[in-house]
Amino acid sequence: MKARERGIMSRYDFKKRPVVFIYSLSVLMIVIMMFTMLYPIAYIFMNSLKPNPELFSFPPRFFPSEWVWDNYSKSWDYIPLTLFMRNTLLLFVGNMLSIMIITGPAAFGLSKMQVPGKRFIALFFLTTLLIPPTTYIIPNFINIKELGLLNSFWAFWLPAGANAFYLLLLKSFFDSIHHELFEAARIDGASELRCYFQIAFPLSVPIFATLAIFVFNTAWNEWFWPSMVMHSDDRYPLATAIYKYVIQARMMDWNQRFAILAMVTIPPIVIFLLFQKYIIRGLHLSAVKG
Amino acid sequence: MNHAPVVEKAQRAGSSYKSGKYKRYVWGFVFVIPAIIVFALFLWTPIVKGVIYSFYNIDFVKGNTFVGWANYEKALSDPYLLTAVKNTLYYMFLGVVMGFWVPCLFAIAISELRWFQGFARISAYLPNVVPLVVMYGLWRWFYDPVGPINGTLSQLGVEPIAFLTNPSWSMISIVFMETWQQFGSAMLIYLAGILSVPRDHYEAAEIDGAGVWHRIRYITLPSIKNLLILLFLLQIIATSQGFQTQQALLDGGPNNATLTFALLIIKYATMRLNYGVASALGVLMFLVLSIVAYIHFRLSNKEES
Repeated sequence: MKARERGIMSRYDFKKRPVVFIYSLSVLMIVIMMFTMLYPIAYIFMNSLKPNPELFSFPPRFFPSEWVWDNYSKSWDYIPLTLFMRNTLLLFVGNMLSIMIITGPAAFGLSKMQVPGKRFIALFFLTTLLIPPTTYIIPNFINIKELGLLNSFWAFWLPAGANAFYLLLLKSFFDSIHHELFEAARIDGASELRCYFQIAFPLSVPIFATLAIFVFNTAWNEWFWPSMVMHSDDRYPLATAIYKYVIQARMMDWNQRFAILAMVTIPPIVIFLLFQKYIIRGLHLSAVKG
Repeated sequence: MNHAPVVEKAQRAGSSYKSGKYKRYVWGFVFVIPAIIVFALFLWTPIVKGVIYSFYNIDFVKGNTFVGWANYEKALSDPYLLTAVKNTLYYMFLGVVMGFWVPCLFAIAISELRWFQGFARISAYLPNVVPLVVMYGLWRWFYDPVGPINGTLSQLGVEPIAFLTNPSWSMISIVFMETWQQFGSAMLIYLAGILSVPRDHYEAAEIDGAGVWHRIRYITLPSIKNLLILLFLLQIIATSQGFQTQQALLDGGPNNATLTFALLIIKYATMRLNYGVASALGVLMFLVLSIVAYIHFRLSNKEES
C-alpha cells in the first residue's frame, strides 16, 4: 500500500496526545467555519419560502412552517426582473466584446508585434494600475458626463477595454505562445488580423474564459457605479435595481425580498460550481492585481 | 517531398523584408491604437482632469470657474474630515484585526485536512459568490434589532445588541460581514502557497526533532511570507478606499460612525453637488495612497522575478 503523502504533520505526530488534541480542535474550527459560511446562504433560500411574520419570530426558526412558493411569483411581478437581467447581460456581452476587440489586440501587439515606442506605450497602459480608482471616481463621472455618455451602455462598454489588469493578463498569456507559430503563419501569408483572430485567439480560450468570469462578476455585482451613471429603469443592471427597489424599499415584505435575493444568488452559484477551475485560476491571478 | 513552394515563398518574404517590416509597424500601430484611445479617454483624462478640476468650481450649467486653492481650503476645513480619516483608519485597523489573520489560519488548518478538503474549500469560497446586494439584504436582516442573532442572544439571556444603529458596533458589524464574504478568496491563495511547500522540508525538520508548531513557525509561515505581505498591502489598499458597504447599509451613519474618507468624497459629489471639493479630496487621497501603492508595486515585481 502506498503511504499517503504527508503534510505538515506525519503519521507519528498522530500518536502524540497534545497534537491529536489540537488537530481535532482545528478540525472542529473548520467545521464551525463551514457552518458559518453555509448557514447564512441557506437562510436566503429558507427565508424566501417562509410566511412573512416567521422571519422575525421568536425564537428564530430555520425551516419554514409552511412552504410559501407564492413568494416567488409575487416578487417576480414586483419589479421587472427580466428587464434588469437583460441590461446586466448586455453589459456583460458588450464589456467582453470590448475586451476582445480593444484590449486583446493591444496585448497581442505589445507581445508579438513590432510597435514603435513599445516601452512607452506599455508604460502608458500599466501605470494606470498604480492609481487607486476611488481617487478619481468623481472626475471619472464628470468625464463621462462631458462625453455625453450618461445613461448609455457605451459608458460601460468603452471603458471596459481600458483595463490595464486584463491587458497585463492577456499579454503575459500571449508571451507564453511560441513566436515561431506566428512567424510561420506570416511567411505563409497570413495577415496580422488573421494571426490574432485565428491563431492567438483560439489558443487563449482559457485566459478569456477566466476574464469572462471576472467580467461577469463585475456586471452581476456592481451596483454603485451604475447607479451614478444610469438614470432609468431600462438601463439599470440587476444589482443596481435590486439595491434601489429591494434593499432600500421601506414597505416590502421581507419574505418577498428574500425571494428576489434568492433568484439573484442562484446564477452565480451555478456558474461557480460549473467553472470552478477558471475561477480559482482567476483568483490566483488577482493576487498580483493592484 | 517537394519543399520548393515554401522555400520560394520564404525567399520572397526575405526580399521584401524592409517593406514588410514597415508594414508590420503599421499593423502593430493599428492593433494598439484603439486601446490607446480608450485608455486616454477613460482613464488618463479623468486622472489628469481630477487634478485640474480640484482647482475649479464645477458647474454643469454655467461652466467651470478657476478658484485656486479654495477647494482644498474647503476640504481641509470640513468639520467631518477628521471623523472620516479616523473612521477610515479604524476600518482599516478592524479589517486587519478581525479579517487578516483568519484566512491564513484556516488555510493552514485546511491544508492538514485528510478528508473533505475540497468541500471545505468550496464552502469557504461560496460567500464570495453571493452577490453584494444579496449580502446587504441578508445581513441587514441578520443584524436587525429583532432579527435572528438578537433572537438567539435573548434566548441565551443576553441583552439585544443594536448591531447597525449603535455607533460603537456599526463598523465592527460591517467588518465582520465583509470578512464573512471575502475571507475565502484569500484563504485559497494562501492554501495554494502552503500546499506548494515541498514535503521534504517537513520530513527533514521532523527528523531533526522539530515539533508541529516549530514546523509551522519555521517552515510554513516563512514560505508564505511574501504572500502575507502582498495580501496585507492589497487589503490596506482596498480598505482605505472602502465606501460601498458603508453607503449601502448605513449611508455613513449612525452619527457619521461609518463615514469613511471615500464616502465623504462621494457625498460631496452626490449630496452637495460640489464636484470641485470632491476632486480635491480625491487628489489628497491619491497622494497618501500612492505611497502604499508604490510599495505594493515594488514587492509584486520582486515576486514575479
